[in-house]
Amino acid sequence: MNEQTSEARERAQALRSAIRRFYDEVFPSDLKLKSKHHQVLDKADYVQWMRLLNDQGWAIGHWPREYGGQAWSLLERFAFEDQFARLGCPWIIPFGVKYVGPVIYSFGSSAQKARFLPRIATTEDFWAQGYSEPGAGSDLAALRTEAIRVHTSEGDHYVVNGQKVWTTYAQWADWMFCLVKTTRDAQAQKAISFLLVDMKSPGVTVKPIPTMDGYRHVNEVWLDNVRVPVENLVGAEGEGWTYAKFLLKNERTAGAIVGMAWHALDRLKGLAREHSAVSPGRLQARIGELELRFLALEETAYQAVEAMMRGTDHGAEASLIKLRGTELYQDIAEAAIDTLGFAGIAYDPADVHAGAHPPLGPADAGGIIKDHLYNRAATIFGGASEIQRNIVAKGVLGL
Amino acid sequence: MSLDFDTAGMLGDSARRYADDHYSLAQRHAVLADPAGYSAGAWRAYAELGWLALRLPEEHGGMDADPLVVGALMEVVGSRLLMEPVLASAIVGTELLLQQASAAQHDEYLPRLADGSLKLAFADAEPGDGASPCTVREGRLTGTKIAVLHGDLADRLVVSAVDGGRGGETRLYLVAPASSGVAATRFRLVDGRGAANFRFAAASVEPLGAGRAGSAAATIADVRDRATVASCAEARGIVRMLVAASCDYLKIRKQFGRAIGTNQALQHRAVEMFLLQEEIAALTLAAQRALALPPRERARVISGAKAYICGAARTVANEAVQMHGGVGVTDELDVSHYFRRLMVNAALFGNRDEHFARFLGEATARGETA
Repeated sequence: MNEQTSEARERAQALRSAIRRFYDEVFPSDLKLKSKHHQVLDKADYVQWMRLLNDQGWAIGHWPREYGGQAWSLLERFAFEDQFARLGCPWIIPFGVKYVGPVIYSFGSSAQKARFLPRIATTEDFWAQGYSEPGAGSDLAALRTEAIRVHTSEGDHYVVNGQKVWTTYAQWADWMFCLVKTTRDAQAQKAISFLLVDMKSPGVTVKPIPTMDGYRHVNEVWLDNVRVPVENLVGAEGEGWTYAKFLLKNERTAGAIVGMAWHALDRLKGLAREHSAVSPGRLQARIGELELRFLALEETAYQAVEAMMRGTDHGAEASLIKLRGTELYQDIAEAAIDTLGFAGIAYDPADVHAGAHPPLGPADAGGIIKDHLYNRAATIFGGASEIQRNIVAKGVLGL
Repeated sequence: MSLDFDTAGMLGDSARRYADDHYSLAQRHAVLADPAGYSAGAWRAYAELGWLALRLPEEHGGMDADPLVVGALMEVVGSRLLMEPVLASAIVGTELLLQQASAAQHDEYLPRLADGSLKLAFADAEPGDGASPCTVREGRLTGTKIAVLHGDLADRLVVSAVDGGRGGETRLYLVAPASSGVAATRFRLVDGRGAANFRFAAASVEPLGAGRAGSAAATIADVRDRATVASCAEARGIVRMLVAASCDYLKIRKQFGRAIGTNQALQHRAVEMFLLQEEIAALTLAAQRALALPPRERARVISGAKAYICGAARTVANEAVQMHGGVGVTDELDVSHYFRRLMVNAALFGNRDEHFARFLGEATARGETA
């Protein structure tokens, strides 16, 4: 191992220690209990959580120093996401700090940087991602939302029409970064631009899509003649696909899924001790198999991150980690449902709020069911497993 | 045992026609939103269609249906996700009364089961810690029951309890949930159907088959097997719908300029789902036939079928959600409702682990199971 990696390792270990101290000493007990029981968090919870992270300098720790970040190495980024997920902390909302922030500081105008970056760091603006459309999921470049540039005496603006779908927490969002088509002429990818849409604009309609856990995580966003000033275009027209790919690259660390799997496995072991509807011998064997798969995931992920730092990666490590991580996580969740027995089928979304107790089983039974149901989508969103396998087949195996 | 394929075919067709006309997905969403947890109108229709008298003997106006005929109805209960207590009352509760109630009780209760005015739920499972076993002393019931399917809406519970006056023998008792000494915690299962936990404190009971030397334990074992076989048929109905819906979606959903079903990787996975569907169908029929086999072979086949079907149906449901992509996890589409019904189907009347142990011939300790 070279010196750079060695130093990064030490810094990542120090960050993990600091996060554990934060969890014990700073993390508020009400949020701790809610997240421990996998209960539903509202916008105020998430904003409080993101601001606590920012107070520590962690929400944008991966940003360059000139924009207020700490220029974390990939190992530190991984440790940050992994360690918080292991502790069962709330989801670190990525849309501002992880997704659009880096696009703005890399490709945005100085006015955009000044206007948006500070408010992203502090979550004064809550961001949503306007990527998928009804006909453009895995095939994102098939998107059809149009932004037509209109010249007026007061200056130019775009008129945006279309529909976005699966927009997480659009109901809370102040802003949405959007992929739109700014020309009908160019081939699909050359027509795409990256636009920042004020969610308070006339013509924006948000409709919930209830998921099978009974909650409103995702939405449809309808854009009907929405007027967007030209200064909200990021970079150049027709370059949106490049920025989208850059944004995806920022997902590469994927530490959260490793930590989530660790946390779920740890909870499963606890369930097996306290409340088992499955014979102990078979359950132990099943948990053992899951632990073995976790070991493989963890080692593959760590070594992938180090390979990325050394520049010896094959480029599809994130796909491997997402594939193995999400599939393992789902299998752990199934084992937890089986272990809960009747408590694994008693479910009312109303029971997954602070203060509520499920009718059967431990206090977090409802949260375990909720996570099991919602995380069937983990192999669908953020690039479905089928797409991840395509990426490996094309990008690594040359097939 | 010769099974009545003709009647099963006719009943299945008639049930599907009823569901086509009266139990669309939109109509079912209205039932889901109703705090009652079921449709009283649908329940009356089931009585008129004869479904609630399916298991009754002919002298009580019933069909004396064999396991195949019961399965034909249960397949539709699954494929159309009917919310009403067909399994809990018309099959399980009715069977318990048929086998354990006195002639006078038959005369009193069977007509009410047939006309739908009496809905039963079987309260059998107890908390795994064994801290408050249900016991009857001097005609009063004390103890706890959990996870009673449709216990939220039942007019009477059939409760298994130890008869303290008879040397600890298990017997069955009718209990009115609204009577004094009964405390109910009503809740929803993940598939939207209702259930309840009950705490009994000196609740008054009506013993089934008063004065008859009991074989209630044997009846309970038999009825659990019948419920398991019925749940296999329910799973078969669900799986057929999921496989059909997924294949349809593979044909109509276009990405990258072509139907996603043109990808060989997805074709092979669809074939795997179809193989599981065929195995589930075969094992369901085998389990229906096995009800007539000697005890050991009967247990092996029924529990083997249930154990296999639990895993196979879960695989199909997971794949169906995955192939539908984002819409697969929405509440709007039926796929996620089938997914959730299968979760309940796999946990009631013995989970996979319990049936697997019984298939292997292991002695099973019944903890928190029903």
